[in-house]
Amino acid sequence: MLRFFHWRSLFRRARFEGEMADEFAFHLQARTDDLIRGGVAPEEAERRARLEFGGNQRYRAECRESHRVHWLDEMGRHVRYAWRTLRKNPAFTAVAILSLALGIGINTFLFSVFNSLILKPLPIADPASVTFIESTAGTTFSFPDYKDFRDRNNTFSGLAGYRISVMNFEHGGDPSRMWCYLATGNYFDVLGVKPALGRFFHQADDLQPGASPYVVLSYATWQARFAGDPKTIGATVRINGHPYTVLGVASRGFHGTEMFYWPELWIPMMMQPQVEGHSWLDERATWDTELLGRLKPGANRSQAMADLNRIAGDLARQHPLSDKGLRMRLAEPGFLGSGIRGAVAAFTGGVFLLAGLVLLVACSNLGGLMLARVTDRQRELAIRYSIGAGRLRIVSQLLTEAFVLAFLGGASGCLLAIAACKLFSSWRAPVDFPVQLSVQPDWRALAFAAAASLLTGLLFGLGPALRSVRTDLNPLLKGSSGLAIFKTRFALRDLLLVAQVAFCFVLVFGCLLSLRGLQSAITLPLGFDPQNAVTAAVDLSSAGYSKEQGLLFQQRAAESLRALPGVGSVAYANSLPLSLDQSTTSVERAGQSDKIGRQRSRAIYYDVSPGLVAGMRMRLLEGRDFSDHDTEHSPPVAIVNQAFARQVLGTNNPVGQTFRYTPGSMPVEVIGMVADGKYISLTESPQPVVFRAMRQEYNPTTTFVLRSRDSSPALFAGIRQEIQKINPRLPVYGAGTLESILGFALFPMHAAAIALSAFGALALLLTVTGIYGLVDYSVARRTNEIGIRIAVGASALELLRLMLARLMVLVSTGLAFGVMLSWLAAPALGGIIYTTTPRDPAVMALVLLSLLAAALVSCWKPVLRGLRVNPVSALRCD
Amino acid sequence: MPRKDNKAAELLQGTLDLLVLKAVSLGKMHGYGILLRIEQISGGGLIVEQGALYPALYRLERQGMLETEWGISDNNRKAKFYALTQQGRAQLKDEERSWIRLVDAIGTALKARPGEV
Repeated sequence: MLRFFHWRSLFRRARFEGEMADEFAFHLQARTDDLIRGGVAPEEAERRARLEFGGNQRYRAECRESHRVHWLDEMGRHVRYAWRTLRKNPAFTAVAILSLALGIGINTFLFSVFNSLILKPLPIADPASVTFIESTAGTTFSFPDYKDFRDRNNTFSGLAGYRISVMNFEHGGDPSRMWCYLATGNYFDVLGVKPALGRFFHQADDLQPGASPYVVLSYATWQARFAGDPKTIGATVRINGHPYTVLGVASRGFHGTEMFYWPELWIPMMMQPQVEGHSWLDERATWDTELLGRLKPGANRSQAMADLNRIAGDLARQHPLSDKGLRMRLAEPGFLGSGIRGAVAAFTGGVFLLAGLVLLVACSNLGGLMLARVTDRQRELAIRYSIGAGRLRIVSQLLTEAFVLAFLGGASGCLLAIAACKLFSSWRAPVDFPVQLSVQPDWRALAFAAAASLLTGLLFGLGPALRSVRTDLNPLLKGSSGLAIFKTRFALRDLLLVAQVAFCFVLVFGCLLSLRGLQSAITLPLGFDPQNAVTAAVDLSSAGYSKEQGLLFQQRAAESLRALPGVGSVAYANSLPLSLDQSTTSVERAGQSDKIGRQRSRAIYYDVSPGLVAGMRMRLLEGRDFSDHDTEHSPPVAIVNQAFARQVLGTNNPVGQTFRYTPGSMPVEVIGMVADGKYISLTESPQPVVFRAMRQEYNPTTTFVLRSRDSSPALFAGIRQEIQKINPRLPVYGAGTLESILGFALFPMHAAAIALSAFGALALLLTVTGIYGLVDYSVARRTNEIGIRIAVGASALELLRLMLARLMVLVSTGLAFGVMLSWLAAPALGGIIYTTTPRDPAVMALVLLSLLAAALVSCWKPVLRGLRVNPVSALRCD
Repeated sequence: MPRKDNKAAELLQGTLDLLVLKAVSLGKMHGYGILLRIEQISGGGLIVEQGALYPALYRLERQGMLETEWGISDNNRKAKFYALTQQGRAQLKDEERSWIRLVDAIGTALKARPGEV
């Protein structure tokens, strides 16, 4: 770009200097001639002319000075002229600015999302040298393994372990449930962050289990719960009933290392037993620690990976039961490993791609409209050429028009994007978890919007502008509308329309596909009935209950909830299908040889009370539900789903079969089988699931499911009251209808459907205006011809063919390309939206028909006008 | 006093611009022709040096008052011709009016006698 301007200004300057020299020379020559004619001798005349003229060099300099700001001035003139031209066509200008604003706005917003989640580094010291550590099996490690990695590696200057956890927080007699990071003592030092107030905990604060009752508050918690009081430092709060000292407050911008999670507290890892109610700090079999490391200066990632794998190999040898086959990987921090990050990147990237398509449609639409305008202004331009306006100047004039439009569209698009970012950042997911996605439009987003505007301006402005240069002036000046040129000029417009129709097809197809997917997802067999049920949860481990107390509490609470008015049945489980919290356990068929390292299966597990299967309206296909007789004293039993039966037990009649959770453990007998459902996401294929009896596999996390037609606030108040009658210091959370859980599971699809619908509608609108513009324009151009044909007796059918044949060819070509593109893009679309048949022929046919209909509707008015052309007036004009 | 000097220069420049616009308004003309015409219509002697005309022409062109075009002079030489633009025509009308107002005002002032003040 810079080179271009440089070259242009050089060229300009040379021409300017040459012309000035010529002009001065002409003056001197003319004066000399006059003097000679007046009788002066030629040599004397030349001398006198030069004298009278004065300092040649000085005036040259003054002329240069007078002309200096010329091109800036010219640009100002161009802009003013462009503005006048645009104001003369308010409809065109409004459509152009609106479509650009939407196109650029959507793209800038999506770029901001992508930028905030994927591109922008974490607000920590030297983020490039910090890496997340995962294994091929998952993102977590056992705490003893963490200590081994930390102490045995040679490539990390620090290796921190952490875990997202939740506990009961009490300050000033107001119990609430808060989410935190349990973090090893070196956590803040490895990240290299500074507190806003007080101090963070360090390695020395985190040596003995239970010996470091300290807490660091997030800035938001400090503001909300302590009113930003600086005297908060050193205050005592209660966590799960135990006293903790507030050490410090994190800075406002620091929310740990996960992009989607805003913790409320940080607590030293050694306090894990108090926070979670059971200790896994010494268990190699419990993998609950996330790892984060800072590379030593000079160490690179592949060295670090080799180093970690060396340690993993040692661990696999030393602890084959838990660590066999451990393979290490590095991932970018921000999303708990590469899995979620990849999905987020793919999703935003996919939507971004579609938004880019919308912008392209807008560009080709505007390009077509601009081209039509250039063609209409052909005569004006020809006159301007013939009176000596430079071609460069006319091109730059037309480009200026495009850029003025692009600038106005881009500026409004930026405002739209900022508003969308605000809305998006303030959105909270309907889950019991501080999900917060902070999307701030920063300089990168602004630069992106500016680049997008410039590029779109160039895209839709350059074609028409260049086209205007390649014009043969003569027929235009002679007053013919130049049918011959008209045909060749049409080629570019044709291409634009075809492209537009094709892209529009893809977008509308994606939109309908996603809506259809959403519809079928809602009617999908979930494996349970979410209607007329409410849930509420308590966390007994945080409240310090022992297993016996916990079991007792669960039973008492269920009994008192059952007594609430309108409540049919009450059951409970540690977690429910499609809620955020899902856990898996290893399983293997009993009777197989207990050879170590053999492939074991994993299954999602739920620890449930008797009656839960019925309470959730799950279909019990075989066998029986748990009863009060399945206790810690009776043989272990389980209910499984069809997928478990098939995949783990290899049978369709699992009742009576046995399996194990870990090698050598007690065999578990299957007593029932339920139909498959959805457990983690709506798009998953059938997952093996095992239900275990709560009395045999006690789980302190307790979610009650109440069957009730009533879901009024009064019912939830009643639930809270009943539970707090038993324990007034126990916070109740997750209160809501069972259907609201689905809201979370449906969220990605809702988002995709909304985005695609917006894109599809926008593309359709653009295409309709594009076709309308084209037909309107072509009818206007051919008024002459139509008039002649009517005069010689052409029938309406022939006229229709004359006006529409070309359009139909273009639209059909575009549709054909659209079908092809959709066919190719369908698998990619299928990754974003839920659908069983990404190449659904019914949807394709529907899109095809609706686009054809849209094309016909949009050319209706101009065609009617064409049919009503009065041959006399048509022939007289022009 | 530099301020006074500036004012004088401004006035002079403004006058030259007005004369150029007037001269060009009579017909498309090249620089030398404009000079001759100014001499002719003003009775001569307004311009000290002929070259001083050109910075004025370039400035007026830049301001959009004049447009230029290369053509052939009477004696068959390539010359740059100046013509008035729409804007130049309006500007000329404006300046003529304000010039006449100025002249009137100064004329009235000069006619004043001691007793009238």
